[in-house]
Amino acid sequence: MRVARRARWIGPVVLLLVALGLSAHAEIPLADYEAVLLAIPVSDLGHVLGAIEFGLSQPDFPAFETMQYLDRLAASRYSAQEREALLSDIVVALEEGLPIEGLVTKGLEGLARGVPAAGIQQSLHQRLVLLAETRDLLYAKGIFSVAPGSPQSVDTALPTPRFNLLVTHISDTIADYLEGGGSPFEGQTLMQEVRFRLTSLEGAILNATDVELVLKRIEPADLTRVALSAVS
Amino acid sequence: MKPIDIDDVLRSALRQEVAETAAGLDGLEERIVLELGERRPRLRVGEWMRQLIAPTRSGRIGQLSLVGATAAVCLLIGFFAATRFSLDGGSPAIRLEPSRNADGTQEVLFVLPALDANEVSVVGNFNSWEPTTLSDEDNDGIWTASIPLPPGRYEYAFVIDGRWWGQDPLADEYVHSFGEYSSVRYIGGGDGA
Repeated sequence: MRVARRARWIGPVVLLLVALGLSAHAEIPLADYEAVLLAIPVSDLGHVLGAIEFGLSQPDFPAFETMQYLDRLAASRYSAQEREALLSDIVVALEEGLPIEGLVTKGLEGLARGVPAAGIQQSLHQRLVLLAETRDLLYAKGIFSVAPGSPQSVDTALPTPRFNLLVTHISDTIADYLEGGGSPFEGQTLMQEVRFRLTSLEGAILNATDVELVLKRIEPADLTRVALSAVS
Repeated sequence: MKPIDIDDVLRSALRQEVAETAAGLDGLEERIVLELGERRPRLRVGEWMRQLIAPTRSGRIGQLSLVGATAAVCLLIGFFAATRFSLDGGSPAIRLEPSRNADGTQEVLFVLPALDANEVSVVGNFNSWEPTTLSDEDNDGIWTASIPLPPGRYEYAFVIDGRWWGQDPLADEYVHSFGEYSSVRYIGGGDGA
């Protein structure tokens, strides 16, 4: 009897937990982005909103973090021009189909540290350049991305989220190295840094075969070339 | 008696006195050194602690870094010993590596010794750089927080009474970020994790 009474509660509790879980993972509607963009404000709302809409269609778009960045940007002490400038590189990255997680995280850190807008913008721009150059490097090495679910015709065609993780972590390593005062000409050191980063994440968030593929194909001189593109 | 004779007598007496005393001077230097050694003041534990927490020219962070480094070394030795040895031979010891939850996240322990701090928090890319407060329930100056994190690479810094402190002794690496240090932890995965 007591068991039956308890069993009556289990259903609603499970439903409630499921509902809470679903709401936590629910996508953020485009209208919410629009509202916060109006508060920043941006001069070309349609353009920025279009980029975000494209991002939302990507499997690895960091929706929650992006919304947090926009929220904090809107509430920041920077001028309207500076706030818009701090968004511009992220919009460009979205339009070019580059992964933006690293940019958003760096932007959030800059805001939290109270860094002047010019400092954040410089860091974001350098990272945007490195993202694009790293992606081009992987393309040049015959490593491509394919939409998730598409047939993987060759071993070097990686599903987009896996490809984007490689781009993010290689470019992020180079960016950190340069920000720490490292010379782009120290290709061997750069290579060591990249190797350490990728192997440390191997099996955690990076596929071991992807890491092996990249480390086999890229060389110190390639990384020097990528690094130089961000400082020249 | 001639003056010269008196002089000779005095010289002779002095020589005799020196000769008698010389025997007692043998090994005098060694005895003095030994005596000084026995009387040398020894640094007691209380005195050592007072010196450790005494104000330094480098200010608060200087004290923190000294005390923090000492505590970190003790913690590391403790953790190392705990992972290597077990007193009852069977029960799990303190673990430095994160414990894995059923949902794939791992409980990652953040520890910071900060004796004089009133508030300590950790900010990083796992909490969008919004502070997560560390606690020091027994008021021993060791602040801790256990945060469930999925596998990945995490950059973070501690905030001690509003000041950012980016060099966690337990970090896997450090990076420069906006002219300051950030600590990095690798959770799960390969070599560095």
